[in-house]
Amino acid sequence: MKISLTVNGQLREVEITPYTRLLDLLREDLGLTGTKEGCGKGECGACTVIMDGELVASCLVPAPQAAGSEILTIEGLGSKENLHPIQESFVEAGAVQCGFCIPGMVLASKKLLDENPHPAEKEIRIGLSGNICRCTGYAKIIDAVMMAAEKMDGQESDQDG
Amino acid sequence: MRKSLIKQENNQQISGTDFKNYFQPGSLKEVLEIRDKYRDKVNLVAGATDIFVQYNERLHEIENWLDISRIEDLKKIEKRGKSIFIGPLVTHLEIMKSDLINKYFSALSAAALDVGSPQIRSRGTIGGNICTSSPAGDLLAPLLAYEARFHLSSKKERRIVESDKFFTGPKKNILKDNEILTGIEIPISDFEVYSYWEKIGRRKALVISTLTLSFVLEFEDDLIKRAGLAMGSVAPVPKRLNMIEEKMLKKKLSQLNYQKIAEEVKNNISPIDDLRGTKEYREDVAAEIMVNALEKIEKERVSG
Repeated sequence: MKISLTVNGQLREVEITPYTRLLDLLREDLGLTGTKEGCGKGECGACTVIMDGELVASCLVPAPQAAGSEILTIEGLGSKENLHPIQESFVEAGAVQCGFCIPGMVLASKKLLDENPHPAEKEIRIGLSGNICRCTGYAKIIDAVMMAAEKMDGQESDQDG
Repeated sequence: MRKSLIKQENNQQISGTDFKNYFQPGSLKEVLEIRDKYRDKVNLVAGATDIFVQYNERLHEIENWLDISRIEDLKKIEKRGKSIFIGPLVTHLEIMKSDLINKYFSALSAAALDVGSPQIRSRGTIGGNICTSSPAGDLLAPLLAYEARFHLSSKKERRIVESDKFFTGPKKNILKDNEILTGIEIPISDFEVYSYWEKIGRRKALVISTLTLSFVLEFEDDLIKRAGLAMGSVAPVPKRLNMIEEKMLKKKLSQLNYQKIAEEVKNNISPIDDLRGTKEYREDVAAEIMVNALEKIEKERVSG
């Protein structure tokens, strides 16, 4: 069974089984290992990607449901040389420790800031409520999102090709 | 090397290249035909947020999948006469964002916001919440309190059932093996409506509820015309407390004895001890939030 979908702006064709998880499609078939697997049950948010503009847990999306969709993974958001303002802010705020949750955290932050460019702390906490971090205690992550909101003030956040 | 190994493992699960056991039809007619043919041998998939967890943990084998996620007709929210119709594929996120639902059924919007996390709300559906029929399903208490009706269809027949007749046990309901849920109808009240929603859980997000309560009061002038009171995680099914509702009718809010109602709530539920809370805890909390619900509506009426 073959499906096509757009990943980070590129149209890709992938051979799947009906039970392939979007997570495995991205990591194994497309080699996009920035998307992480934590719990595999939709509870930790490490596998978060943006699908058709919405935040999803890629471990819970059957690949056939992703056919024809548009996916943004962490690889599509800025590059090592040219960080997205959210990524920049995470570095500057010291919001990263082990880093495993960060791809999901950054994408959840992007989704939040796209919809709400000036979130209050409470709104940030709700926006990131599906992403668990076991290192930082969240305080610096929230600082980073606030910092990113300031940086992105008035400018488009779309660096996602 | 590792990559090819994993692929091989995955391949072992393929029964054939045509995927005879995975259906993703494009019309409701086809869905009903497949359902009719395979009956209890087919599992319905909508947002997959429950079934994919169970499948991946190998909690049970699934022979045939009927993925209804492509049926556009089942994704609408619309006003039809004196009711709002919600398609079973409407997601929790869409419920939260719907102006129609916010306007008429604010407790349902609030409950949708308390489901899982943003990642779950964008995929999980109202129909999935209903058909999974967990006593802890977050949308179920509001649906009972607003007296929702469920539209069920099979290849040959259609029927409409009251939401409080739908659930029969933990994860059990009256759906026949050839039927699917095709719509949720909620009547719009002619009266002055006040709604309350509370979810008690061990965390704020991503938590299966320890207890939920949804309470709706409709007033004509100062008298209670209709009361809807329902709770989740307090009985084998999401429970509507009709007896307590009836005692409130034709009274003023000021004539109700909140403590007495709370006591009756406590006596009319049958919670169990589990990971999420003990029986005693649930009874005490149920009584407490019943009083909160009444007090909140009292305040809203004064200030509104």
